[in-house]
Amino acid sequence: MSVTIRAADLKGGREPLLSRIEDYFVGTFTAMASPCSVLVDTEDRSEAAAVLSVAEAEARRVEQKFSRYRRDNVVDQINHSQGRAVEVDEETALLIDYAEICHDLSEGLFDITSGVLRRVWTFDGGSRVPSRSDVEKCLRHVGWSKVKWEKPALTLPQGMEIDFGGIGKEYAVDRTAALIAARTRSSYVVNFGGDLFASGLRHGNQTWGIGIDDPDRTGAAALYRLDVATGGIATSGDAHRFVRWRGKRLGHILNPKSGWPVADAPRSVTVAARTCMEAGSLSTLAYLQGAGARAYLEQNGVQFWIV
Amino acid sequence: MQLESPKRPSLRDALHTAALALLLVPGAAKAEDAKDRVDFTSLLYGEQSRTQVIEPIIRFTHLWPDGQSVSTQLGIDVITGASPTGALPSGVVQTRTSASGRVLTSPAGQIPVAPFRDRRVSLDSEWQKPFARFLTSTVGGHFSREKDYQSLGVSGKLSTDLMHRLLTVTVGGGVSHDTVFPVGGTPAGLSDATIVHTGSNAKNVSNVLLGASRILSRRWMVGVTGTRTFESGYLTEPYKVISLMNRVTGTPMGDLTDKRPSTRDRSSLLFSSVYHLTDDVFYANYRYYWDTWSVRSHTIDLKYRRQIDPDTYLEPLFRYYTQTAASFYTVGLTQGAPLPDYATSDYRLGVLNTVTLGATFGFHPEDSPGEWTLRAQYMRQSGDSSPPNAIGMQRRFDLAPPINIYAVVLGYSFGY
Repeated sequence: MSVTIRAADLKGGREPLLSRIEDYFVGTFTAMASPCSVLVDTEDRSEAAAVLSVAEAEARRVEQKFSRYRRDNVVDQINHSQGRAVEVDEETALLIDYAEICHDLSEGLFDITSGVLRRVWTFDGGSRVPSRSDVEKCLRHVGWSKVKWEKPALTLPQGMEIDFGGIGKEYAVDRTAALIAARTRSSYVVNFGGDLFASGLRHGNQTWGIGIDDPDRTGAAALYRLDVATGGIATSGDAHRFVRWRGKRLGHILNPKSGWPVADAPRSVTVAARTCMEAGSLSTLAYLQGAGARAYLEQNGVQFWIV
Repeated sequence: MQLESPKRPSLRDALHTAALALLLVPGAAKAEDAKDRVDFTSLLYGEQSRTQVIEPIIRFTHLWPDGQSVSTQLGIDVITGASPTGALPSGVVQTRTSASGRVLTSPAGQIPVAPFRDRRVSLDSEWQKPFARFLTSTVGGHFSREKDYQSLGVSGKLSTDLMHRLLTVTVGGGVSHDTVFPVGGTPAGLSDATIVHTGSNAKNVSNVLLGASRILSRRWMVGVTGTRTFESGYLTEPYKVISLMNRVTGTPMGDLTDKRPSTRDRSSLLFSSVYHLTDDVFYANYRYYWDTWSVRSHTIDLKYRRQIDPDTYLEPLFRYYTQTAASFYTVGLTQGAPLPDYATSDYRLGVLNTVTLGATFGFHPEDSPGEWTLRAQYMRQSGDSSPPNAIGMQRRFDLAPPINIYAVVLGYSFGY
């Protein structure tokens, strides 16, 4: 027997909640604007409670430190640096290094400075698209190559911004998984808003059952069920945030070169990899290829599921 | 032959390396969410008409998000009361003088005891650090001091998880350098204590540990731990004595001081089992111990943790301990007979049986930041009341009357 996890199971509230489901415990809470959960393969409530508190604390720590919506954090400091160099701490520097590698590996399609484009795009399911000149004005403030990154000093030209939205959640998942590993010997799954990591086989050699949602009916029915023991899984897609334009559905993931949403992309790309960060980056990089997503994943020998 | 596009053959590897570079840096998780924990416990221990111990302990633990922790514990024992000297009971009032000039008297027919009052201060520190996901190291140090004893030691331990965390193997060891400086000087062994040498006596202790624990099922974990401890130096109890008996009547004629070998190798094997029921936990341990002084012991330890509700538990305890006597243990020495190389009448090296019954009650009151525990224990200790080598009048006395021991421990722990 295995367990299926779907977004619908994640009834995260502000207060963390621990409940026993069959022969394991599920702890839920809300962080990073997403329902978050940890599944712990134990009979011991206090052990599950300890894991939940580790997970919640780490999710909140990463959110507090790297959310671009928070004030007084390192991202806010960088985004309000007015062209001055900002010296960042070790953890932030490593995250920037990682983003830079993703930028290089994707030949510029993955770019943590592309968030500025959201000023002109509204993905509310409507049909409003920005004018060509608005997009072009915006693109002047987009592009990692315009940034000076001399570790640990980051200099962002005036008007530019960075945003760890594309990697922060996955980072929080892996980091939380490592912290939990130091606390428990039970198998567990960390799932932050659908990006997840499973630590190993459950008792009796059971796998964890991970459901892939139907993008049109989130939480209703899982299209696939993956039997997972160890590793990270992440999904990129346009489930909720999109605009309709000339009969096409344009998802919220923007191409930093054109300033437009990625065209002809799959509805969702799910990738399995050794860590959640890798899974997240691979699914995002594949999605950025648009119609070429499948070929890109196949070419790179990635384990994936496309909807 | 390369079938894949040579353009990005190593995308996965490049991302994997990049992710590891980020995730494997322990310093990346800052100590912002460090947790501190304080534990207070206070032990009250009483042996019926013998020793009383009050031992308040405070422990402070600091935990980092990466699993690293440091804890420091300060304990103060106040011991008062009386402890058997090792001398035999007499038909008449016994009186003795000690090297420090104290005069002891004992009522007729009772085991002579010596009153004492001592204070012991101890400081223990431990640093635990996990490496990667499967390796944890622990290093620690301890220091304790009382008026005639000092101990200073270090220890280290390494644990690794194997077989997908189903098996944990631990290796460890430690060394300690102790100093014994008896009040009034150190009496020569097996003497009438008129010859005393001043200065301190060294005692060195080293130990090694090898353990393994295995998860058999999600409910059941078993473990085995073996230890070897090597002691050398001054292992004698300077205040203990052995009665010299008249070889016909058994009347105590005088006392000789205790004398023990200067080395002792101790070994033990501990088998443990932890079984999780739905909410309750059952612990069972068995320990076999043996040493080069011919002491052998068996300990059975059973505990059942009953979770009454998420904040309350009751944990009854049963323990049985039985020990054989050291090869040089004797109730007394016969006057006029040649002296053995070593001898002791210390009841702790004689035949000893202890039954312990107790329970721990843990509760976490609402609106309280911490958890309370109250533990009460009753122990009944008995030995060999009529040893075969008792002579004459000694056969009339109960040479190891059962002792009742009570212990109460109150604890309070909170994190912040």
